[in-house]
Amino acid sequence: MDSNKKYWKGLEELNKTPEFVEKNKHEFAEPIPIEEVLSGGGLSSKTPRRDFLKALGFGVGAVTLAACQKVPVHKSIPYLIKPEEITPGVANYYSSTYDGSAILVKTREGRPIKVEGNPNDLLSKGGLSAQAQASVLELYDTSRIKDPQQNGGDSSWASVDAFVKSELAAIAASGKTISLVTSTVHSPSTQAVIADFILKYPTAKHVSYDAVSYTGIIKANQNSFGKAVLPHYNFDKADIIVSFAADFLGTWISGEEFTRQYVQNRNNKSLEAKKMSRHIQFESGMSLTGTNADVRIAIKPSEEGVALVNLYNALSGTTLPGSRKLTTANADKAIILVATELKAAKGKALVVCGSNDVATQVLVNAINSLLGSYGTTIDLDNPSRQYAGNDGEIVDFIAQAKSGQVGAALFLDANPAYDYHSAAAVKDALKNVRLKVSFSDHADETTALCNIVAPNHHYLESWGDDSSIEGYYTVMQPTINPVNNTRQAEQSLLVWSDNAVKDYYTYVRNNWNNNLLAKGGLSGQAGWETLLQTGFVLAAPVAAGTYTFNLDLNAVAQTVLNQSAKLAEGNKVELQVYQSVAMRDGKRANNPWLQELPDPVSKVTWDNFAAMSPSDIKKLGLEEFEVVTIEANGYTVSLPVLSQPGQAPGTVSVAVGYGRTAAGLVGNNVGKNAFPFLSFRNGTFQNTATADLKGTGDIFPLSQTQTHHSFEGRNVIREATFTEYKKNPSVNSGSDGEHEKYDLWENTNEDHIHARPVYDWVMAIDLNACTGCGACIVACSAENNIPVVGKDEVGRRREMHWIRIDRYYSFNNDSNGHGISREKEIAKLTDFDNVTVVHQPMLCQHCDHAPCETVCPVLATVHSSEGLNQMAYNRCVGTRYCANNCPYKVRRFNWFNYWNDSRFDNYLNNEHTQLVLNPDVTTRFRGVMEKCSMCVQRIQAGKLQAKIEKRPLKDGEVKVACQQTCSANAIVFGNRNDPNSEVSKALKSERTYYVLEELNVKPGIGYQVKVRNTSSELQA
Amino acid sequence: MRNISLIFKQFSRSVLLVAGLVVCGLTAHAQTDAAKGEAIFKAKCTACHKIDTRMTGPALGPQLTQETDDAYLTKWIQNNQALIAAGNKKAVKIFNEYNQAGMTVFAELSDADVGNVITYIRADWKKIQDDKAKAPAGGAVAEDKGPSSLVIWGLLGVIVIAFIVILVLNKVIATLERLLLNRQGLALEEATEEEKAPADRLATVKKLLKNKKLVFFIVVCGTIAMGSFSWVTMWNTNVHQGYQPVQPIKYSHQLHAGAMKIECQYCHTGAFKSKNASIPSLNVCMNCHKSVKTESPEIHKIYDALGYDPNTAKYDSTKAKPIQWVRVHNLPDLAYFNHSQHVKVGNIKCQTCHGQVQEMQEVYQYSPLTMKWCIQCHKRTEVNGKGNAYYDSILSAHEKIKKGEKVTAAVLGGIECAKCHY
Repeated sequence: MDSNKKYWKGLEELNKTPEFVEKNKHEFAEPIPIEEVLSGGGLSSKTPRRDFLKALGFGVGAVTLAACQKVPVHKSIPYLIKPEEITPGVANYYSSTYDGSAILVKTREGRPIKVEGNPNDLLSKGGLSAQAQASVLELYDTSRIKDPQQNGGDSSWASVDAFVKSELAAIAASGKTISLVTSTVHSPSTQAVIADFILKYPTAKHVSYDAVSYTGIIKANQNSFGKAVLPHYNFDKADIIVSFAADFLGTWISGEEFTRQYVQNRNNKSLEAKKMSRHIQFESGMSLTGTNADVRIAIKPSEEGVALVNLYNALSGTTLPGSRKLTTANADKAIILVATELKAAKGKALVVCGSNDVATQVLVNAINSLLGSYGTTIDLDNPSRQYAGNDGEIVDFIAQAKSGQVGAALFLDANPAYDYHSAAAVKDALKNVRLKVSFSDHADETTALCNIVAPNHHYLESWGDDSSIEGYYTVMQPTINPVNNTRQAEQSLLVWSDNAVKDYYTYVRNNWNNNLLAKGGLSGQAGWETLLQTGFVLAAPVAAGTYTFNLDLNAVAQTVLNQSAKLAEGNKVELQVYQSVAMRDGKRANNPWLQELPDPVSKVTWDNFAAMSPSDIKKLGLEEFEVVTIEANGYTVSLPVLSQPGQAPGTVSVAVGYGRTAAGLVGNNVGKNAFPFLSFRNGTFQNTATADLKGTGDIFPLSQTQTHHSFEGRNVIREATFTEYKKNPSVNSGSDGEHEKYDLWENTNEDHIHARPVYDWVMAIDLNACTGCGACIVACSAENNIPVVGKDEVGRRREMHWIRIDRYYSFNNDSNGHGISREKEIAKLTDFDNVTVVHQPMLCQHCDHAPCETVCPVLATVHSSEGLNQMAYNRCVGTRYCANNCPYKVRRFNWFNYWNDSRFDNYLNNEHTQLVLNPDVTTRFRGVMEKCSMCVQRIQAGKLQAKIEKRPLKDGEVKVACQQTCSANAIVFGNRNDPNSEVSKALKSERTYYVLEELNVKPGIGYQVKVRNTSSELQA
Repeated sequence: MRNISLIFKQFSRSVLLVAGLVVCGLTAHAQTDAAKGEAIFKAKCTACHKIDTRMTGPALGPQLTQETDDAYLTKWIQNNQALIAAGNKKAVKIFNEYNQAGMTVFAELSDADVGNVITYIRADWKKIQDDKAKAPAGGAVAEDKGPSSLVIWGLLGVIVIAFIVILVLNKVIATLERLLLNRQGLALEEATEEEKAPADRLATVKKLLKNKKLVFFIVVCGTIAMGSFSWVTMWNTNVHQGYQPVQPIKYSHQLHAGAMKIECQYCHTGAFKSKNASIPSLNVCMNCHKSVKTESPEIHKIYDALGYDPNTAKYDSTKAKPIQWVRVHNLPDLAYFNHSQHVKVGNIKCQTCHGQVQEMQEVYQYSPLTMKWCIQCHKRTEVNGKGNAYYDSILSAHEKIKKGEKVTAAVLGGIECAKCHY
């Protein structure tokens, strides 16, 4: 049965706007102006015979002269004394840690070039976020501070040390506070260093705050259960997950870990066991998690509290005072149905909420307690340490600084001048502070206010450790000598506090010897060496206790409802501030890989925007990308508006992390800062506000990749409901009815060119596992030297990513369970607020009958005997016929020499940043095509390793970059000729289908049908 | 007078003879002692000592010349540990000076043996010093002997100029002669004859030019010749077969790999495990050259690069500066080549691609390194998968197809684009 459901990537595609139609006609948005040349003065004018001869003569002469040039002499400079562990040309891997996750760092000739997940990592088992993948590029960032600075000028460490020590001593003597302002420190050794520092200077105080805060949850747990911790959630143990605006697959606490857990109950293995979790999302803006939900219900931020109260009522059977109905009947009904389902799944249910409000989180605790979640899906005894900041502390710090009580402020991994809601207050307060020290290795907004800059190492240059979950300790080891004259912040603190241990490495060693190694059953030098290889120790977890909530909720409900009522006051727009998946809190804004990573939902690159519901945009008479001014909390910002299907009407969402003014060459002035929209209410920072919104009439185009590389309405998505799947596993995959397959070539002949006797490299992508996070895109960029092209070029549809994630919207089924055809739906535009989303990773399909191969006039792209569609760059002459003929639109054309062109100064156009390039992959020249090679360099390296070790190549030994980084394990790669390989098994699944199978190009990548665990009742 | 000189000659002869005999006898005696000493020295001492420079132990020449107490020296050489244990001042001092690393005990040497060794060392040291005293003058002469390239070019230039001058002068003379003859009216007849002959020749050429077939033939031949010449030239653009750059150090593969028979991978360690064979780092050179040929100016380039002082045997990394070798084999960046695949897996000899390196004084590019060259080899080389479990399944899969045909690298996909280009 073929679905008649319509899928579309953007409203322009759905509405067939003339511009879209025009642009989509051509493979390349801007045709080369050949016709202009021909019709204009150019060739058809009076034949300038003499000119022609002149040009010819000059050309021949010039070429001859150019050819006379001697070939440049290449120098080879060997090591003077080669370190024993380095073999030039062979990569070394070192275990380290990124943000609490165990990682492996790939180094070549002593320089780190790629970060990969440690397959034994507790959090994501080898998966890695886009941020972690991109972090290696920051090591080679030319905007990094190169020397310590004193009063704005370069200085030396000796002079900085002398100055800071004398100042600190004087300040301590005067009795004024020394404030060490940091974001959450979860490294045990750093914590110990800070404790030692405080011992030395008794007036010192550690102020810990996070730009995006989880104080609400921590305080709520303190209130409810007496444990001020951020719990460790177990999404894998939940049969039903209800999330209120918590983007747990993206930015909420531990996205990669939760993705891994979440997918365990939704992937192929789980489906074959006829098991699938249910996920219901209530939210205003469309988040990555919302796009993956089985049922997503758009509610305003002001209704979140009301909905939670109603849910509590429905679960407990009581009615909290002041309870009222939700404004939309649909949501109201949904809450009741959700309550029924939750009750049925008691002990296997989880309710999470993205709010940072203490009262709201107390209510969520009460709900989870009713559901018996504590001890099963929520673990309070092995808590997460990822965020421990306290919003009150930074507010107090600023007040104290303003009143002159603070003598010194030291900023470690904290940038309040950018991410505090009132940068002016920070600036004002710091004027009254005598000594201001920044440890930042970038001249960021706060650093500009400091008189001492003691630049910290990049984490790949540092010794250290980390502990993201109680009992899980990871070690950080340097993989390169410091690139600049920087010093680790911990080392600086040790020096300034005259610590007995002078060197931070020794300090870390001591800390591990005395406290941590024993937790993993290790000890001594041997234990340390084991640790450096494995990367972590894991203490046996404490049994998760059950906790019962038994406090009075009346006051809490009152607070929640009052806040909701206040938010809904007046006829204003409700503003919700969120973290975008690519940019998060903006600390990595100077990373071009992240800036160019399309947002998973909006597909916007290099900007933030005001997301609004299409119906609101129509109502307010705005145009797409029209600049609107948003005013809230006394702060005004102008942002282009983006119509976001699924956005709750009456709301606008703006991402933080943009609008940096001192991030560096790449990140400066990209988008607008949304942190000032946060407000300090009831002891925490809250991300909602009521806003005034006005159109300005100006248009600010966003570079949005959503409709680039279009399939022109061909049906490429297959979807089924879980109910249908249980009845017939092959539903909608098209594989239930055998159909005759035709072949242009005679396949019986064994000598045939398409024979693949040994390897047949193919891939299986599970649409039900892929959450669309985009980590694979960054991993691919790092592995394959893919250039960053910048906002302008993305706007011209010239992004170079080899793998893209197509995000398709479709309308929900109508009450009869039938797909809704476009014609019927267009009439009632309100349903744009009620759409479902499918993410589809799209990359070269390595077709057996590849249409690109047959049109290449120079045979630059041909098939290999291993099933790969090969691209020989140096043979390509750039006709671009192949891209035109590719039905999947996965070929990319190099319009520039991105690594040698001043227009791309913010990326590779300097020798220093080029050190990050993978030396096993060529950089492509201007004028050639490129596309996914299935990481052929890894295939070749894997085969060679097997040959050297004289053994057959094992399945799973060669992992492609996108597969390796995927926390959801949505991508499986391997040899189809081996019937026992993972990929063969995956492709045998009944859900497998091939995109555009009807073209008979025989793609090498099989997709597995997206299954949604919907129930018709919940869809209005 | 003549008689006197004769007498003197005879007398001097006999005196010289006698004197010669005496000297001979003396030296013969000295030689036996020193020769014995030299044999022992070479067998027992050279592992740690040299006469003129410091190695693991002190430079023995100056040491033994300063120290004249032979009894002490004999005791030291026979059993230095005992001396140190006994607390001999001199012994303890030198023991401490050398980081308390004691010398090997030579209890098997008799007093006479030791005496011989000491005699040899002192004699040799004296000889070295005498040589040195003479050396400056000799060295200068030796340097002068080798004419600089500038001189050679200068000489060549002078010769060329001289030749041109001669030619011009000849011409002038000829003109003057002709003028003279003209004036005398003698050469007229000859001149007319000479003029006639060229006219005849031109006539034959003109006749030939009228033969259109011949002209066509010649034009075709010319075009083909020119075409094939430019074709070949263009194909060989950027092919640098025979490229032999001058290296910063006159390192001879002929000496090391040929005469000394040092295995290639002793220095090029990467060849078996990496894509790069790699140029050895200088610590590999120092494995031998810490003690071998330490006086050579070429070896001193290594020392300078490392910041190594051969007299103190200490490294000073602040003075270190890497040696910039000139790359001989330049594969373009777009081609991936892996040494270990060929050397370790394929068991291909280094010489197959690099030529008889062990016979090369200076290395040059032996192979063209063109893609055609790669492909030809991949098409011809049979894959020997015996004893390598990796190839078992692969060869069995291919045998089905090939039915006993020879399995070359190309058959296994070795000429597909993405095997080298990615």
